[in-house]
Amino acid sequence: MRWKDQFRFIRQNLKKNRVRTWMTIFATAIGCAFLIVLASVGYGLQKSIVKDAMEEQIVTQINVHGIERDEQFKPVTMKDIRYLESVDGVRAVTRRNDLYQIPRFSVDGYRTEASAIATHFPSEKQSGLTLSEGRLPEKDNEVVVGYNFSSYLASEKELDQKDIYDEQGKIKAEYRYDSPLLGKTLAMTVDKEAEEKVETHTISLKVVGILEKPTREWFEDQNVYITQAVLKDIEKFTGTYRGDPSADAVKDGLNEDEQTFDQVKVYATDLESVTAVSNQLEEKDYAIYSVVSEMKQINMFFTIAKAGLILVGTIAVLIASIGIYNTMTMAVTERAPDIGIMKAIGANPKTIKQIFLLESGYIGLMGAALGTGIAYVTSILINTGVPLILSMAFEEELPEGLQFSSIPPGLVAISVAICLIVTILSGLRPAKRATEIDVLQAMRREI
Amino acid sequence: MINVKKLSHQFVLGKRGNQTTLPILQDISFHVNKGEIVTVVGKSGSGKSTLLNLISGFIRPTQGEIWIADQQVSQFSEAEFADFRLQHMGFVFQNFQLIPSMTAFQNIELPLTLKGEPEEKRKTIVMDLLDRVGLLAYKDHYPSELSGGQQQRVSIARALVLNPPLILADEPTGSLDSETEADLLELITQLNEELNLTFLIITHDDEVAKIGHRTIQIQDGKLLEGSNIQ
Repeated sequence: MRWKDQFRFIRQNLKKNRVRTWMTIFATAIGCAFLIVLASVGYGLQKSIVKDAMEEQIVTQINVHGIERDEQFKPVTMKDIRYLESVDGVRAVTRRNDLYQIPRFSVDGYRTEASAIATHFPSEKQSGLTLSEGRLPEKDNEVVVGYNFSSYLASEKELDQKDIYDEQGKIKAEYRYDSPLLGKTLAMTVDKEAEEKVETHTISLKVVGILEKPTREWFEDQNVYITQAVLKDIEKFTGTYRGDPSADAVKDGLNEDEQTFDQVKVYATDLESVTAVSNQLEEKDYAIYSVVSEMKQINMFFTIAKAGLILVGTIAVLIASIGIYNTMTMAVTERAPDIGIMKAIGANPKTIKQIFLLESGYIGLMGAALGTGIAYVTSILINTGVPLILSMAFEEELPEGLQFSSIPPGLVAISVAICLIVTILSGLRPAKRATEIDVLQAMRREI
Repeated sequence: MINVKKLSHQFVLGKRGNQTTLPILQDISFHVNKGEIVTVVGKSGSGKSTLLNLISGFIRPTQGEIWIADQQVSQFSEAEFADFRLQHMGFVFQNFQLIPSMTAFQNIELPLTLKGEPEEKRKTIVMDLLDRVGLLAYKDHYPSELSGGQQQRVSIARALVLNPPLILADEPTGSLDSETEADLLELITQLNEELNLTFLIITHDDEVAKIGHRTIQIQDGKLLEGSNIQ
């Protein structure tokens, strides 16, 4: 029997009891929609979190924390930097050192306290560091400042007298430095504790660039990025490692190879190279962390979560399959005389089984198609409704772009496949019963 | 065409552990030649319908062999017998056994559909047969919209649609009035002469028995002495 004729048969048979057929299709659709919507929450949250992680970090960036060898942790040295730069697929290796005190910065009668970070600007340039204005330092006493640095500069006159902060803890507009900072000279003052006395040292720094606004809305960059030469100058003044004002041990006598770094970031040439570079660095015992490894963990977590959700959703489809089993059993009982006639005139039991299996599969497919439609509508309602309800209930704005439910084509394919398998399995027993119908008994019922 | 050798059949009655056997046919042997019309007569309960059901493969014999077209069909599996029926046999039943949800056209077309014939070919063959049995105007009528005689004509057309060499008929005129019966018997004779079809007809009607080239008589599950056996 041709497939086309089998489908014609199925359609003809299903038309005989439309209400029953549609109710079964609808039950399957609800089961399938439940499965898709449930799993879509996993997909949606994964998408949002992955997007969030991608926005937070540059995807080609690999953080190198140090070397973990023989249960000992060693910081990254200049020798390591040279090795890292030689690895295939590496575009740049940036290295930064924190100043171990918070210096005071003042300009034109305004003052703030901000962290100072010593960095190697040529490698920062190679890594693709972009500025909102100005250029990167070329001389030792040139600096770039974070995008939000100027908004923390408060008038020195008012600083100790009035309440200059607003409700959010920010400096009120009238006390804030509002002139262009580019080209201005900052006076950086650092301290040194010496025999219960605090000595200060002021260094003049020229602002040549302002960094770009951070990608995260909630993150503010008020740091000052100094050159390694300035850090050395401070270390010379304090006589301590990283300019720590209260440290006892004086660290000197290190050759260039032994110089260590607090923050080392390796930038791969492209996303494809990140894994290869990461693997190579891990082989060399470097303790690394990249967005790719974070993605691996996130994806692993969500893969397990999604599998669990799909499993729970499958239960709904299984419940719907009871309806299909019932419908198919009824259909076999009702059509026993027809089956008897067909068998009598030469229908192969295999053909009869195939027709009934196709019939249950057809119900499953129709249910899955309808269920997918319902799921998409539900998903849209969830994505628009849930943030609205949550913001009304908790009076809190949810992060922009947070997606609760996402239905990728893969999920639809998985759900349709589950739906089809479950419905065909539920039609298996009735289909077998149809092949076992006794011709004579079935034809006698017709009389 | 048909060769029945020492065929016996018995029904098992009762539940397991308390079963009794009821012999229906005992040691039946006969032969039907190609192009013959053979009628099987006997009283109700004599076993003639069981004989037809055994030859059709609807039930399996307890003993003996059935050969059709040089093949021992009594050894066939259910699926093999189904394919054999489709290729070699046509059936005409007392109660027509048409599928009520299908039109006359679709009922006749059914064996062709089961065989997997293309739609165009099916249409040509069915239209020819409808014309032959005089039901072209009724092609879209459902069985419930046809008279008994018309339904039996549809049934005959369905039996002929795959050109089987053998037609098995169980009381084909049992539900028809005498005038329709005469028409139908004429059609059977005509088909036998024109197409050299073999007919094995089960009947208790003398008029039907008369059209047979030979008649086999069954009484209490045995062939009666004096049956026209070849």
